[in-house]
Formats: sequence, structure tokens, C-alpha cells
Amino acid sequence: MQTQIKKTLNAIILTEDLGKAVVTSEGTLHILSSIDLIINSGESIAIIGESGSGKSTLISLLAGLDTPSSGTIKLQGKFLTEMNEDGRAALRNELIGFVFQSFQLLQGLTALENVMLPLELRGDKNAKAVATALLNRVGLGQRLSHTPKQLSGGEQQRVALARAFATKPAILFADEPTGNLDSKTGETIINLLFELNRENQTTLILVTHDPILAAGCQRTIRIEAGRIV
Amino acid sequence: MSRFNLALRLLWRDSRSGELTILILALIIAVTSSTAIALFSDRLQRTMVNQAAEFLAADLVIDCSTLVAEDWLNKATQFGLLQAQTVDFSSVLIEHDELLLAGIKAVSDHYPLRGILKATTAEDYTSEAILHAGPEKGTAWVEKRILSALKLKIGDSLTVGEKPLTITHILTYEPDKKGNFYSFSPRVMINQADLAATNIIQPGSHVHYFFQFSGDPQAVLDFKQWLKPQLNPSQHLVDIHEDRPELGTALQRAERYLGLSSILVILISGVAIAMATRRYTERHFNATALLRCLGCKQQEILWLYSSQFVVLGALASALGCVLGWFAQEVLFQLLKELLPPQLVSPGFGAVFFGFTIGIVVLLAFAMPPLLRLKQVSPLRVLRRDLEPLPASAWLVYSLSIGVIGLLIWRYTMDIKMTATILGAGLGVLLVLWLLTYGLLKLIQNWLPSMSLTWRFSFQGLLRNSSTTISQILAFGLTLAAMTLSFTVRTDLIDNWQQQLPDNAPNHFALNIFPEQQAAYKSDLQQNAIKGSQFYPVVRGRLVEINHLPVQQFVSKDSQGENATHRELSLTWTKELPEENKIVAGNWWSNEQLADQVSIEKKLADSLKIKLGDLLTFTIGSQQVNATVSSIRELRWDTMKPNFYMIFSPGSLDAYPSTYITSFYLPETQKDLLNSLVKKYPSTTILEVDLILKQVKTLLMQLTQAINYLLYFALMAGFTVLFAAVYATLDNRIYEGALMRTFGANRSFLRRTQLLEFGMLGFISGVFAVIISEATTYILYTQWMAIEYQFNTGIVISIPLIGAFFVGSAGFMGVRQVLNKPPLRVLREL
Repeated sequence: MQTQIKKTLNAIILTEDLGKAVVTSEGTLHILSSIDLIINSGESIAIIGESGSGKSTLISLLAGLDTPSSGTIKLQGKFLTEMNEDGRAALRNELIGFVFQSFQLLQGLTALENVMLPLELRGDKNAKAVATALLNRVGLGQRLSHTPKQLSGGEQQRVALARAFATKPAILFADEPTGNLDSKTGETIINLLFELNRENQTTLILVTHDPILAAGCQRTIRIEAGRIV
Repeated sequence: MSRFNLALRLLWRDSRSGELTILILALIIAVTSSTAIALFSDRLQRTMVNQAAEFLAADLVIDCSTLVAEDWLNKATQFGLLQAQTVDFSSVLIEHDELLLAGIKAVSDHYPLRGILKATTAEDYTSEAILHAGPEKGTAWVEKRILSALKLKIGDSLTVGEKPLTITHILTYEPDKKGNFYSFSPRVMINQADLAATNIIQPGSHVHYFFQFSGDPQAVLDFKQWLKPQLNPSQHLVDIHEDRPELGTALQRAERYLGLSSILVILISGVAIAMATRRYTERHFNATALLRCLGCKQQEILWLYSSQFVVLGALASALGCVLGWFAQEVLFQLLKELLPPQLVSPGFGAVFFGFTIGIVVLLAFAMPPLLRLKQVSPLRVLRRDLEPLPASAWLVYSLSIGVIGLLIWRYTMDIKMTATILGAGLGVLLVLWLLTYGLLKLIQNWLPSMSLTWRFSFQGLLRNSSTTISQILAFGLTLAAMTLSFTVRTDLIDNWQQQLPDNAPNHFALNIFPEQQAAYKSDLQQNAIKGSQFYPVVRGRLVEINHLPVQQFVSKDSQGENATHRELSLTWTKELPEENKIVAGNWWSNEQLADQVSIEKKLADSLKIKLGDLLTFTIGSQQVNATVSSIRELRWDTMKPNFYMIFSPGSLDAYPSTYITSFYLPETQKDLLNSLVKKYPSTTILEVDLILKQVKTLLMQLTQAINYLLYFALMAGFTVLFAAVYATLDNRIYEGALMRTFGANRSFLRRTQLLEFGMLGFISGVFAVIISEATTYILYTQWMAIEYQFNTGIVISIPLIGAFFVGSAGFMGVRQVLNKPPLRVLREL
């Protein structure tokens, strides 16, 4: 019991009986059911499962991008489920970083500007210096003024990584970060992701269906048909 | 502040990537055109009003037969108005045994307050000078006819009443030469300081006083409003809109037309802005989702984008204002020859108006699509198919309708008319929406029986039928606006030209005694001068309607009030005069009895006179009764004798009458006037050719201006076209690339796209015809008093023009679909 309380106290993410259901013409569809999770600060977790198992829905709920149908989510001691959209947005800005499968870079912006964006949203005056340093760190110091169209897939994901770490988030959600890349480039990216994660002591939640990638994480959670197994 | 800086940076990045090009272009055109039109019409209007004010020699005039109260003049001084007075009366001049009835005009200092006097000291007119003040004390300026009729020359003495004056100038132009039929005769202008010494004005003398005022328009208006309730029936207030009806009508029409064009351009630009913003919004869904994901709140998203739009609007509006300024300068340069040498300088108020219009139109038309961005779910970063709900239809329409309504109201200043135009417009849109919807449904049923090319083209239209409907409505509206600009302009000009043909009568001859009439007529004929009919005139006053005093029927400031406070020219004729149209009752036949009267429609409306009413007139000391047997419409601006009251023949036989006629006298035959005046000394000749010339110049200027305004509507129309094409471009490129991947060749794609846009243009053209013809009909019959005629040329050509322009512009817009390698397209999107 004491261990459980200790665990809970140290938890950066805590969910209880989390569920997501949607009403369709053929009845209620339960995408996620009874998810109880404790994720500690600094931990790296892989969420694995087949396509359609509910992995992406889970991280969208954990990151406050979507709202659950039932249950609660606590992020760094704050009830995410009691917040409105603006509250969740503020929390995202404060705590969370993202890396997506499809990179999600803004096409009109240069690599530097893409990385600067979350910092600018915070009103950070050193945005440019921080972003430049991070791009140097991911090996794109010579490509600052290039737009996404002028970068390869791997390079785009490196920019996305730099952007994700720009605000030094407490939690980083990565949704199949290598899904759009060939295996060699994917490997480079994943190594970079783990390196940055260690350097920044970020809690990493990685969604993947690649068991090798999952093995790099401290813990693996498998989801099948909307439940943790 | 940092958020605002961020908005600016995002704006800068967006503009650099070309995202905003169409939007900026649409905005600049909207503002350029609205500023140019506002500036141009404001400047033209003020120039015209100034020029028109010249005809009064002032901004406001009290016309009366006695002196006005001193405190009125003091009040005018308090309002900061400049003042001048003129006193008009007739007097017989006798020199060298010659007699001549002259119109004497005594003018005060500061006369003329507006406009100029022209005079010469050389009898051959070689040194005509522009002067800003009248004769000095002890001198007289005379029209040349006075010199020849009285055998005088410059430097001679002319005795006016008991006062001998030295003739120093030949007067060639006075701005406020009145067309008062019964006082008009050759002019002698003297200084008011000499008036008392002439000893002509005695109690009871027939004298006209004109108290003239000028100054700041608002002060003039304030003074007018202060003065109006205090006027007695014999005191008449005149400003440019009330005086000179032929000029007033032209001005009013022009004002309305300019306003209408400007609303159309704004509406078309608004549609372009809405379309461009829609594309902008759709292309920013992903970026917005990302921003939301990075922690931006909904309000911040809205603030971020709307502040970008406000900055964008301010920049584009400022640029538009500058361009608009140049556009109107170029316009005035082009029209330099036609415009008066002294143009009123452009008003900053109009620039401010243009700028405000830019921001307001941008927000009204861009806000609804922009609001969708607020609704973008952050979850879209994971699920691209999540699209925000479209903006509420109420919001979209009420904002744009509100703005357009406000603008219509601004130009018409008439709530009822604004509501009518808006109501009719919305009704038309609803009907067209239903028609388009029905048409698309119908096409859907025919699809299976069509060839592949046609099927693909129509499927292009049907795939997103709501977009297609809005595009058809937008193109239809644009084409309708352009058609409307064109037809209204053409008809307006034709109408004006018909109104004043080259040989329109330019002289009126009055006070012709019955025994002189035949001789006068033959004199005109002998000199090959074409004249109008001779009408007998008996002066009488309408006093009772159905035995009730006419005052009971009069409303303040109405036409009825105006007509009942003075003697009217009563005439009789067997035949209905030309350009008179019976709108109620019947024109009399031979068998009908006397004592019937035909009344002009507007006066009848104003006094609520109906067919069968008994009207009582006083003629001298006697009373005459007549029954209203018909009501006529007529055009007052034909320069022919026109009458409020026409009696049946025989009704007025018992009363002394004189005759009136009008005729066209070419410039080369001006000498004939002298001989006519000599032969018929009691008659009065009124030269209206000068007035006509001025009116014609004004109409020419307006024609040119209206031609130019059409280009703005055209430009705005093309922006809509491109905005609409670009609004769907991404989707088209994507679909085109897919089809090429599946093996469709370029020529097939080219054909289907040409056909699709061509059909879009054709259907829009058909609707444009419906909208424009319906609007023209309403405008002409309800508003502009122009006869409506169905225009077959328009009906055939507009759908074809629509098909051609929309077809080729759309095709040009989407040619990337053909030229880009499919793989690249699919990767880029």
C-alpha cells in the first residue's frame, strides 16, 4: 500500500478507469476501457498494439487533445479531466511536447521558425538562440533557413524533435515517430530521441507497433481492443 | 504585446510563403476601388455642387418680394455665413428716343458669393474678363442688346429711374441669371448703393429680393434648418437641390449611380475576400491544430488570426487608399478637358471612408470563415480528417447583409428603400439558390446517359454541390453587377442624351399678345426657326379643392405648397401636349363641355387631388371652377412650355391671356433676338441656351466618370473569379494528380476542366441575366424614372461571356493540374 502511495506521489501521469466511447449508428463503440496507468517522472514508456487498438486515442487523452467519456487523468497533480479546453491548452504549453508520425511542420515556415514557434507562443525572448542551438544539436545547423519542402523526411523529423524539446517539456508524447521513415533513418531518429530524452530528463511516452523500438523504453504497455493487457 | 509580435511574425511568414496573395489582392482592389469611388464621387459631387451653387451665385438663397427681418441676417452672421443681396426688378429705359424694358439688378458687395461674373470693355468681346465683384457705385454694366437697342456705347450715360449711371462694362455672364418668365429682359446691373437714388422702388413695386448666403456646408445646413420654420408663404428658400430641376435630377441620378456602383464593387470584393479567406482558413487548419496542440487557447487562436487580419487589412487598406488616390487623380486628369478648371481638392473624409470600408468589409466577409479556425480541434494533429464545423450561416449572412445594408442606407439615406433593395436582393438570392440546387439535382439524374468527358465535368460540379452553388451565385452576382453597370450606364446616358437633344429649344418667348401670335409664328417660320406649340397663358391661383381651402391639403415644403403659394400659368389646349402622358382619366374629346382641367400627377399626388374633384381658381378678382378629368405625367426638363394645369378649350376664354412658346435658335442667328424684341417690345425672351450648355457639360462629365467606374467593377469581378478558382485549387490539383496516376491523359483532363468551368460560367451567366434584368426593371421603374426595355443582346451574350471568361480563367488557374508531375503533387499535399 505504501509503495502504491509512493508510486502515486511520484507519478507525473495518473489515470483511473479511463474510457473513451463513441456513439455510432450501430450502437456505442468502446475505443478504450478501464485504463489505469501510473507513469513516473523521467520514465520512458512504450505503448504498443495493433492498428486500431486504441494507442493513439490513449495518448490523445493523456495529452489533453481529446476528452475521455469516463474516468480521470491527473497530469503533474492536476486533474486534466476537470479542465476546460483553454485550461488543457495552457497545460500543454507548460508541460507537453509532441513528435508526430507525419512531422506536422508548418510548410510556410523555415526549420528555425518551426522550432521557434512553441517558444514564441510562450513569449520566450531567447527563442531564436534556443532554437538555433537545438537545431545544431540535431545536426541541422546548416539548414536553418530551409523550409520543410527542402528537407528530407528524416531531416523534417529532426526538426520536429528539436521543436518538441525546445520548451523543455516535462512529458514528451511521440506518436509513431519513425512510421514515415525508412529503417535506417528511423534508427537515427530514435537514437536521437532517446539521447535528447536523457539529456532533458523528459518523461517519454512513445506510441509504436515496433517491438524493437519499444524495447528501448524502460517499460512497455500493450493495448488490445482498448484495454491494457 | 508579445502575442501581437507573434501575430506579426506569423503574418510575415505567411505572406512570404504566398498564402496571403489572393486575399491581399482582393482587399487592395476592394479598398482601391471604394476609395477611388468615394474620393472621385465626393470630389465630383462637391465640384458639381459648387458649380451648381454658381447657378445660384450662393449656397442658399431666400427669394422674396419684401425685405427680410434684420435678425435673420444677423443670425446668418452668427453662423459664420457670408452674405450678399441682389434686387431684381423691371424698368423701362429710355435713351435716344428708344424704349426698352430692362431687367435691373442691383447687387451688393460680396456678390457673387459663388461663381464669377464675366464682362468686357470692348464691344467686339475681345477682352472678356473674369470678375468677382459687380459694378462700382455710379456705374452700370449692361448686356450688349441694351447698347444696340438704345444706341449706346461704353462710356455713355444710362439713366435708370432717376439716376444717371456710366456704362463701364458689357455684361457677358452672370451666374444666377434667373429663368423667371415674367421678369426676364436684357440685364442692367448696378450697385446696390445707387438703388435708392433711382427712386424706382416704391411701396407695392414688383420687386424680387434675393438674400444670398454661402459658407461651410454644415453652417449653411444649420442656418437653413433654423430659417425654414420662420419663412412665410411669400418667402422661398432655394438651394441647388430645389432650384433648377433639370440640374437637380441629373445630380441626384449621378449621386445614386455612383453610390450604386460603389456598393456593387464592395459587394463583389467582399465575395472575393470571403472566398480567399475560406481557402486561407482551410489551409490553416493543420497549423492551427498544431498551435492548439502547442498550447494556444481558442481565444488566442482567434486573436492571433484576427489581429493578423486587422494588420493585413490596415496595410492593404492604406495601400488601397494610396492607389485609390492615384486612380482618382488619373481619372480627373483624363477628364481635365471636361471638368471646371478649379476642382475641389480631394477630401480626407473620403480617404478615411475608403480605409474604414476596407477594414469593415474585410472583417464582415472574412470573419465568418476565420471563426472556423477557433473551432479546430487539437486532435487534428493525429486525425487529419477532423474538420471544424462551418461558420454559422446566420453569422455569415447577417454580417455581410448588415454591412451592405448600411452602405445602401448611406447612399440612399432612406430606410424603406434600403429595406426594399435588401429584401429584393435576398429574395433573388434565395430563388437562385433553389434554382441552382434544382438544376444540379436534375443534372445528376442525366449523368448516366452522358459521355465520359461531360460526365466527369458535371461530376466536378456535383462533387461539392454547396461550393458549386456558392460559386455560381458569386459569379452570377459579379456578372450581374457588371451587366448592371453596363446597361444602367448605357441607358442612363441614352436617357440623358434623349433628354437634351442637340436642337432642344434654347429660348422661351413670353408675353406674346394674342393678336401678335400669328405674326410671331410666321416670323419664326420665315427665319427657319423650329419652335414648339404656342400656348395661351392665364395667370391664376388654385384656392379651393372641392370647396375646401387648398391650405388644408398642403403639407410643409411639398410641391403642393410651392404651387399653391404662387400664381400658376394656366393654359388650355385641344390636343394633349407632346411628352405628356395621361395616367388617369381621359383627355377631352370634342363633345365634352368646358370647365374641365387636366392636372400634373406629382402636384395631384401632393394635394391628394383625384379625378372628379372640383378645383377653384382665382384669376384676377374672379373665380373659375373646373372638374379634374385627367391626370398627366410629364417631363419638366424638356425645355418646352410645361403646365401643371391644362384646361379644356373654352374654359378660360373670358380672361385676358398671353402666349408662350419655345424655340431653337442657333448661335449664328442670335441677332434675330434684337429684331424680335424690337418688333414685339412687350414680349420677353428668355435665353436658356447658356443653362443648357452648362447642363450638357455636366452630363458629359458624368458620362465619362461612369465609364471609368465600370472598370472597378470589372477588376473586382475578376478577383472573385480568381479567388473562387484558387479556393478549390488544392482539391482540384490533388484530384487531377490522382486521375493522372490512374491513367487519365492531359487532353482528357483539359477538356473536362474547360467544360466544367465553362458550364459554371454559363449557368452563372444565365443567373446574372435574371438578376440584372430584374434589378434593372425595379431600378428603372421605381427609382430612376427610365423606361425599361428587355435587352435580347444581353440575354444571349452574358451566358456566353460568362462561359468564356470563367472557363478560360478557371482553366488557367488549374493548369498546374496538367503540368505538375502527379507524384510531386501527391507528395506536396
